[in-house]
Amino acid sequence: MKRFLFLLVIFAAGCAAPPQGTPPEQAPPPPPEAPAAPKENVAIAGLMESARNDAAAGRLVQAAASLERALRIEPRNPRLWHELAKVRLRQGDTAQAANLAARSNSFAGSDAALRSANQNIIEQARTSR
Amino acid sequence: MARRRRILRYFGYALLAGVGALLAFALYCDLRVTGEFEGRRFSLPARIYARPIELHAGFRIRQVEVEEELKILGYQSGEREQPGWYVKDQNKLEVAVRPFVFWDGAQPAVRVKLEFDAGSVKSVTDAGGKDVPLARLEPLLIGGIYPAGNEDRVLVRLDEVPRHLVLELIAIEDRNFFSHAGFDPRALARAAVRSVTGRTEGGSTITQQLVKNFFLTPERTLKRKFTELVMAILLEVHYGKEEILETYLNEIYLGQDRDRAIHGVGLAAQYYFGKELKHLNPAETALLVAMVKGPAVYDPRRHSARALERRNLVLHEAKEQGYLTVEQYATARALPLGVVQKPVMGTTPYPAFVQLVHRQLRRDYDEKDLRSEGLRIFTALDPRVQNAAEHAIATRLAQYDRDKRFGPPGMEGAAVVADTQSGEVQALVSGRDPRYRGFNRAVDAARPVGSLLKPVVYLTALQEPAKYTLVTPIDDGPFVWKSRGAPDWEPQNYDKKFHGMVPLRTALAQSYNAATARLGTDVGVEKVLENVRRLGIDRPLKPFASTLLGAVELSPLEVTQMYQTLASGGFKTPLRAIREVTTQDGKPLARYALRVEQAIAPESAYLITAAMQGVVREGTGQGLKAVLDPALGIAGKTGTTDDQRDAWFAGFTGDRLAVVWVGYDDNRAAHLSGSGSALPIWGDIMAALPSEALALAKPDNIETVLIDPQSGLRADGSCPGALELPFASGSAPSGRAPCASELGVTVQEVKQKAKGWLDRLFGR
Repeated sequence: MKRFLFLLVIFAAGCAAPPQGTPPEQAPPPPPEAPAAPKENVAIAGLMESARNDAAAGRLVQAAASLERALRIEPRNPRLWHELAKVRLRQGDTAQAANLAARSNSFAGSDAALRSANQNIIEQARTSR
Repeated sequence: MARRRRILRYFGYALLAGVGALLAFALYCDLRVTGEFEGRRFSLPARIYARPIELHAGFRIRQVEVEEELKILGYQSGEREQPGWYVKDQNKLEVAVRPFVFWDGAQPAVRVKLEFDAGSVKSVTDAGGKDVPLARLEPLLIGGIYPAGNEDRVLVRLDEVPRHLVLELIAIEDRNFFSHAGFDPRALARAAVRSVTGRTEGGSTITQQLVKNFFLTPERTLKRKFTELVMAILLEVHYGKEEILETYLNEIYLGQDRDRAIHGVGLAAQYYFGKELKHLNPAETALLVAMVKGPAVYDPRRHSARALERRNLVLHEAKEQGYLTVEQYATARALPLGVVQKPVMGTTPYPAFVQLVHRQLRRDYDEKDLRSEGLRIFTALDPRVQNAAEHAIATRLAQYDRDKRFGPPGMEGAAVVADTQSGEVQALVSGRDPRYRGFNRAVDAARPVGSLLKPVVYLTALQEPAKYTLVTPIDDGPFVWKSRGAPDWEPQNYDKKFHGMVPLRTALAQSYNAATARLGTDVGVEKVLENVRRLGIDRPLKPFASTLLGAVELSPLEVTQMYQTLASGGFKTPLRAIREVTTQDGKPLARYALRVEQAIAPESAYLITAAMQGVVREGTGQGLKAVLDPALGIAGKTGTTDDQRDAWFAGFTGDRLAVVWVGYDDNRAAHLSGSGSALPIWGDIMAALPSEALALAKPDNIETVLIDPQSGLRADGSCPGALELPFASGSAPSGRAPCASELGVTVQEVKQKAKGWLDRLFGR
């Protein structure tokens, strides 16, 4: 039985994508899974860099502005939402920090490290409230 | 003898009294001149800007759209000395971007090379070919909040004014300006002689003209002329020539752009030449000087011959006075007027959006400051989106009128377009005439929303996955709702039929009223209304069952907020029109930050979005398929009110959300339907713009299962028309559809196992 299953697995993996016998127009795609964190775009990298520098220098308003600018370009980038959550946490806006971390989580997919960092912010926000 | 002496004495008294009166008058004038001139600062309008285009590799914008924006920004085609030009070479653009002070600091002039490919920016490089991560164009000025009389001006200091402008002005208007004491007897005499010979000429000095514009009414009486003279002399006593000249150059009226008055040479340079004042050549400044006499009479866009003639007269006078050499004169005289074609803007081409901005600003700023401090307001308006929305409404409504498909002609419409994730308002159309500055339907018209509220009913049900899934059969049989003190409520379906047991997703897709009313009263009207509030509707709603079917009046903007929360996976982001506010010289005053609030669980948002995608895929929103790629996975809902007086469509792609309303201002029955009238407008707007496919992030506790639509049970590859549908974990049906494989496992399950196995193998 196990071997049979294994063969079936290979078979199914081999013929991959559309389920057989399903006319494509009858089975349009369901909401596809969220794309994984997109490849680092140079524009995003630049804005992220300046946000980090601003945050390091305590210019939190500017840091947030750069991150929002980046989010207009890549609204589904969980890193950007996470960085923004960190800035809000440092500004003492715990409610926003927690919400932004949750937003980041919603795009984080299988990025366990980022998820736990977000969870961290949510916990911190909860305890400091 | 004694009598003569007495007469002399009386004469002396009279003289004394006269001198006294004169002195008192002079003192009064003096107080006014010093008091008002000293205290007077020019009122500067708040300036409202659209979003800047941020160019980066991969940005979805067509080359023509960038060129269009550059043209509206007043960029000239072909290389020039000063920034503000572009050169096109097939799929490449080279742009000399002007310097601009943004909210986050000054951006110097830069030169960028852009390459386009298939409707996107392929690369952005500098002159040396090095990659530029992000290039920001200056934002388009889209309006202002103006002081009294809609006076607009850009202040300049005297040292920013080209010397030749001053010399030309003096040559034609006031030759002895630097030597007279406020009035010029020679010029007056000359004017007097000329007026006798029939040729009228001012004879007023620059100082007198300034006094006239500043302190006096335009009537032409001797008394006023005298006051003007006295005040001019006093002004000269108190202030230097340069101060008077600078004020004059900023005050002078130089044209009319619809309801906007163009004042001062700083703004006139931009308005007529699309350039900064300091970059104007002697011919261009001579044209501005020529217009001083009468900006309407010598309007270079309307009366070019007349304007050219007077400009050349100015140049001639300047040459005669020795301010221009013969060569300079000859060169300047040979030049064309050089006026740029500027689209008429008036105070704003987008009054509805500007009104929304103004209202939001009024919460944080004094009206007086908005109209005088020259604040700079950076907004989210995207002219591309705005123009698409305006165009779609105007053309469709005109077509409906022509076809008389609905009610009588004269139907109105409104639309709001926003970014799904940031909540930024990109466009706002308040009626079929977008230039009309009246009733703002997008913001102020509260109209019954009809079926637009239905998704909230289904959302509320889907929040209980143990009871309701997308395939749960619900009853669309006749439904009666009895409540004490109110007549029975018996909602009918649009097609006047009842459909028996239907899957939940189908009831929403087909917008069945009886099924929705039954479902809504089963889950609880209060619960549904609580969700409406969570989604962002602050207006109090009546806790009646009929509310479920949209007996609720909302504005298009409110509906946009509600759908924004759905479109961003349950995270409410308050809609914003404004990004930042700075002072006139660029000092940041306020940021309107992005805020999010998790209003509903991502799982429920995911499920209702899938159901709303069904509306477009197979329900009342199917009409969109004709104009938009089904792969976009659009989610939406039609709305038609009971008596067909209001028609709506609200929906979203991955990055854009739009709400369209159509109806009559006087509530006439219009035989409208959401799918027949509002949906085509929505489709036109979206088809004109790039959009990302809707791909909500799948929450952890959601699984997708292949379902046989006939039985609502688990299907496999051998079931025709099987659909992949999302379910909250553990809520999917366990039974197998008759069409599914007889094997112990379905192909679907095998596929999932294989995927998990491969994921583990490759560590994804």
